[in-house]
Amino acid sequence: MAVIQVENASKIYRIGEVETRALDGVDVSVDAGEFMALVGPSGSGKTTLLQIMGCLDKPNTGSVKINGQDVTRFNANQRADLRRDVIGFIFQFFALVPVLSAYENVELPLLLSGASAKERRQRVMQMLEAVGLADRAHHRPDQLSGGQQQRVAIARALAPKPLMVLADEPTANLDTANGQQAMEIMQRLNQETGAAFIFATHDPRVMSYARRTVTMRDGHIVSNGQALG
Amino acid sequence: MTLAKLWTIGFRDLMRNRRRSFFTLLAVALGLALLIVLNGFITGVFDDAIQNSIRLQTGHVQLRAPSYSDEKMSLLWADLLDNPAELVAQAQSVAGVQVATPVLWASGIVATPDDSAGLRVYGIDPASAFYEPLRAGLVAGAFPAADDRSGIVIGQRLANNLGLHVDDNVSLTVVNADGEPVEGAFTVRGIFSTGVVTYDESALFMPLAKAQAFTRTDGHASAIIMMLDAQDKADAVAAALAMPNVKALTWRDLNQVMIQSVESGMGFYVILDAIVIMIVAVIIANTLLMAVFERIREMGILAALGMKGRQIITMFVLEAAILGIAGIVLGVLIGLGGVSYLVNTGLYVGDMAGSTPGVPLGATIYAAYAPGLFANLALWTLLIILLASLYPGWFAARREPAEALHML
Ligand SMILES: Nc1ncnc2c1ncn2[C@@H]1O[C@H](COP(=O)(O)OP(=O)(O)OP(=O)(O)O)[C@@H](O)[C@H]1O
Ligand SMILES: [Mg+2]
Repeated sequence: MAVIQVENASKIYRIGEVETRALDGVDVSVDAGEFMALVGPSGSGKTTLLQIMGCLDKPNTGSVKINGQDVTRFNANQRADLRRDVIGFIFQFFALVPVLSAYENVELPLLLSGASAKERRQRVMQMLEAVGLADRAHHRPDQLSGGQQQRVAIARALAPKPLMVLADEPTANLDTANGQQAMEIMQRLNQETGAAFIFATHDPRVMSYARRTVTMRDGHIVSNGQALG
Repeated sequence: MTLAKLWTIGFRDLMRNRRRSFFTLLAVALGLALLIVLNGFITGVFDDAIQNSIRLQTGHVQLRAPSYSDEKMSLLWADLLDNPAELVAQAQSVAGVQVATPVLWASGIVATPDDSAGLRVYGIDPASAFYEPLRAGLVAGAFPAADDRSGIVIGQRLANNLGLHVDDNVSLTVVNADGEPVEGAFTVRGIFSTGVVTYDESALFMPLAKAQAFTRTDGHASAIIMMLDAQDKADAVAAALAMPNVKALTWRDLNQVMIQSVESGMGFYVILDAIVIMIVAVIIANTLLMAVFERIREMGILAALGMKGRQIITMFVLEAAILGIAGIVLGVLIGLGGVSYLVNTGLYVGDMAGSTPGVPLGATIYAAYAPGLFANLALWTLLIILLASLYPGWFAARREPAEALHML
């Protein structure tokens, strides 16, 4: 069953006279529980596609269906709700709220979805343990290493039990060991929670974790890959 | 999303940018303090001017002949009251009237061998309680007795200008009731200082009987001046004294010109207030906008987590509210400190006080507390801060999250 279906999506950026077709008739469908790499040269449209899948932006044409609903027709609040309830994000820059502790960062999406204090406490500690940072719960982002910050971001993305997690070059700012650790955690959480993971990357070592690889070039999907066993 | 977390984020952001927060807070505080001091001062000046005028010149209520006009200071019998003693007795029988005393006004010129000055001549009952402020203000000599036929009292500035001392002789010329100029010789018995420039510089007092004889207005008076036990009884007392051929005027009527110039002056200060408030608002909006640009990516992240535009705006408004309320508290404290100094010590303006004819000001002017006005200013400041903070919030919230994430 597909959690997200992108059909014939195009995205054009205009800067003055210059038009860039960042996405040009993209079709892609991701099933529940997939662990999928999105690869391609720089400027091929990976980030743009992830943003459109994640309701952070709208395509100029085409449709995006999440759980069968066409979200391009949603208003800003409906899309915010969808991001809150269904989608988790992990960014290249660790993207934590700087004034909140690791604990509070993970708690934030749970606060947004109105979870009770008890639920929040349990879930936050469960997630911090899952990424091996229970003992760093009360550190601020600037008191954590890059690898630790990215693990907090992973915990935060998965705290509200999303259907899918979109990760844009999650290891690009990490050294090999930390990158590997982050990938292993994501792989394990993919298996444990059944959330679909879609991650854009340039790094062949990261690609090797994927069970399916989709390749882009110039705003097109050139290889839709296939799910490995 | 609990409001508490938005508060926490807002508060911690302010703490993270201590220097910026401090200067914004200071801008709010100093802006409001300035407004409070300014308004306390204006209120004080205007209160003072009115109270001085009532105390020294107009009283709370006056009886006059219907045709009497202030500008002309006419001594024609038709313009005068012909039964002052009766009217005084009548006035004194009205509840709330503490003092009622007849006065005769004329314009005159006083001359010494070297110099001369135009002034207003007051024929008064020297024993009346209404002249307590003058008696208290005597710096030399004494008040003449009611039957003194040549004694006068003048203000200190006039005495200095003309080089006069107690017991010096002067010549005084007035136009009498018959329209003829008459000249008489008088002796300075006393010199007073009220601190109000217009009186100290251009008033001359003599006993009513002598004034009447000198101007050929025997048995007549320009007005009966009354002081009440409370200023707000003026309308009631005036109504109680309504009778044909006499008009009763309240301090409001009597100070109309001044109240009007005060009110148009107030209009000017409302504009000044608005300008200061606008400046404060711009500084705050600017500071908050800087905060947004610094944090626009953070806004994108919060949006990615599912925070709605409304919540992002709330976060900014809360930040502004924290700063605003702290700034307002500090501003009120500084402002009240300033007002308290100006209430107790005042501001010495010297001769400048005389430069506003018709507005009787002392050489030292004092501020007054106007709690209602101050509270209003504080509320307006808060309102404008909150409005100003809506813009940056809206600026951050209306973007697609992708756009916000791209920035920086
Ligand atoms: N906000 C924008 N305004 C204008 N052009 C943009 C914008 N974002 C992306 N583009 C352009 O769209 C195209 C696709 O960009 P995108 O960021 O999706 O590529 P990418 O595959 O993620 O590249 P990279 O691997 O370098 O991250 C590029 O040509 C880029 O210059
Ligand atoms: Mg990219």
